[in-house]
This record gives sequence, structure tokens and C-alpha cells, in this order.
Amino acid sequence: MTMDDSELRRRFSQLREADRERTPTFAQTHQRARARSASRVSIFVRPVAIGAVATVLIATIWMARGRSFSHSESAPAIATWRAPTDVLLDTPGSELLAEMPALGASVLDKMIPTPSMRGT
Amino acid sequence: MESALAPLILEAANAEERAMDDIELRLQLERVHADCFGWAMACCGRDSDDAEEVLQTVYLKVLDGRARYDGRSSFRTWLFGVIRHTAASERRKAWLRRLLLERKADNLKPESTVSPDVELDRDSRRDGLHRALADLAARQREVLQLVFYHELTVEEAATVMGISTGSARTHYARGKARLATLLADSQAL
Repeated sequence: MTMDDSELRRRFSQLREADRERTPTFAQTHQRARARSASRVSIFVRPVAIGAVATVLIATIWMARGRSFSHSESAPAIATWRAPTDVLLDTPGSELLAEMPALGASVLDKMIPTPSMRGT
Repeated sequence: MESALAPLILEAANAEERAMDDIELRLQLERVHADCFGWAMACCGRDSDDAEEVLQTVYLKVLDGRARYDGRSSFRTWLFGVIRHTAASERRKAWLRRLLLERKADNLKPESTVSPDVELDRDSRRDGLHRALADLAARQREVLQLVFYHELTVEEAATVMGISTGSARTHYARGKARLATLLADSQAL
């Protein structure tokens, strides 16, 4: 059994009529499209806004920290600073090691003065 | 003085022209809206929610100037092409979403306003054609929908589908024969 074009047209026409019944109006579709577009914009804007706020917050904290470090100007410079436990390194005889020994000289010369030195 | 006013006058004229174009575009869209919805339904596997979503995207594209009518074919034929392209793109996106396990929650879909009994009755009447169309190859289904449902010529259908007229004719002939067989079989059962 074959089906001619008019029968196919009739069937498609029924389908078209059925679709027409549930077709939303143009105004509805257009309005929903605009609303969706607006919400899409807000979806894209929201992460950007959150990112910007986070950046500002981090920058503020960073700058505040930097300022708190610069406040300690009254503290001694690292070159002049001495540790409180430095005295423990001040052992007896440490002055012998403080300078380079001369060739031919003895460390004892410093500890026990020679007659030539004593003669002065 | 005149030279200072000239750009302002030109700008005002352009703005007026744009507003007129916008109104004209909206009127044209409104005129073919029902037809577009039917075509969007065909492009979205007859899912009315998906069809409306596609149509919304298309209207935004057209009204925002992202899709421009170049006058090479009729406005309706051109718009059908945009709908077809947009539906395909939305299908790809949906496929990707499913792949990433981001399924759209079914309960978010608005319920049909038609009672289930009425819907069932209508469905049973159209079921034969629906099923037969679903069994056709995509190109055959598209060309038959464009010719029989939207009453386009095969040449216009070819433009919408972005294929040659010869190819559209082949799909049309094969699709029609197959559809007739499928419908005859469903009647015989």
C-alpha cells in the first residue's frame, strides 16, 4: 500500500494544528528570552564582582601588613644588633682567636710578657 | 555651524533607522513565530521546552544583531536555518553537560497545562506519524517536515539545511517512500 502526497499533507497538517495549540505567544517567548539574557549577564557579572572584592581585600591586607612592618623603624639595624646570648661566646682566651697570629710569634707572648716587653 | 550639526543629524537619522529596523524585525519575527515554533519542535525531537529555549536564543541573536538577514533567501527560510543551527549547537552543549554530569533537574521543568487524558488522546492520534518520523534518517525527516509541514519548496528546504538541491531531492524522495511504508505498516498493525 502506498501513500500519496495529499495524505501525507493531511497528516502533517494535523500535526501542525496540534503544535499551534501549544505554541507560546511571541510576546511570551520574547519576554522570557530577555529575562534569560538578563540573568545570564548577572551569572557572568557575579564571579567578576566576587573576584574584584577578593582582590581588593587581599591588597588591603597586604598593604596593612607592609605598613605594620615599616612601623618597627625604632628597632636596631641588623648590622648593629647583638643577640642577648652573645655573652656566652665571650669565653676566656677568646681574644687570642680574635686576631690573626703573626708568623714566628707565640700566643704565649701575649699571655706572658717577654723581658723586652717588661723592660719598658 | 552647519558642519558642527551635520554629525548630530546623521547620528539621529541612524538611530531612527536602527529603531525602525528593530520594530520591523520584531514584526517579521512575530509574523512567522508559530511556524518557527513548529520547526524548532522538529529540530528538538518534539520537546516543546527545548524548542522554546532554542527559539529564545534565536530571537536574541536576531534582535541583538548577532545573526543578520542578508536577503539572499526569504526571511523565513533564513530564520529556519538559524533555528536549525542553534538547535544543533544547543544539542551539542546538552551532550557536553550530560558528559560532565550536569543533568538538568527534571522537576524544574514547568508542568503541561493540558490534562494528561487530553494529551494521551492527542498523542495516540499523532503517534503513528511521530513514530514513523522518528524512524527516518535526520536529513529525510528534516526535508519532509520542511516540505509537508511548513510548505517550503525542496529548493528552500535545501537552503535551510545547508545542502545542495540535488541532495535535498534525494533525501526527499527516499524519505517520502520510507515514510509512506512506515505509515502503511503502522496502519496494517
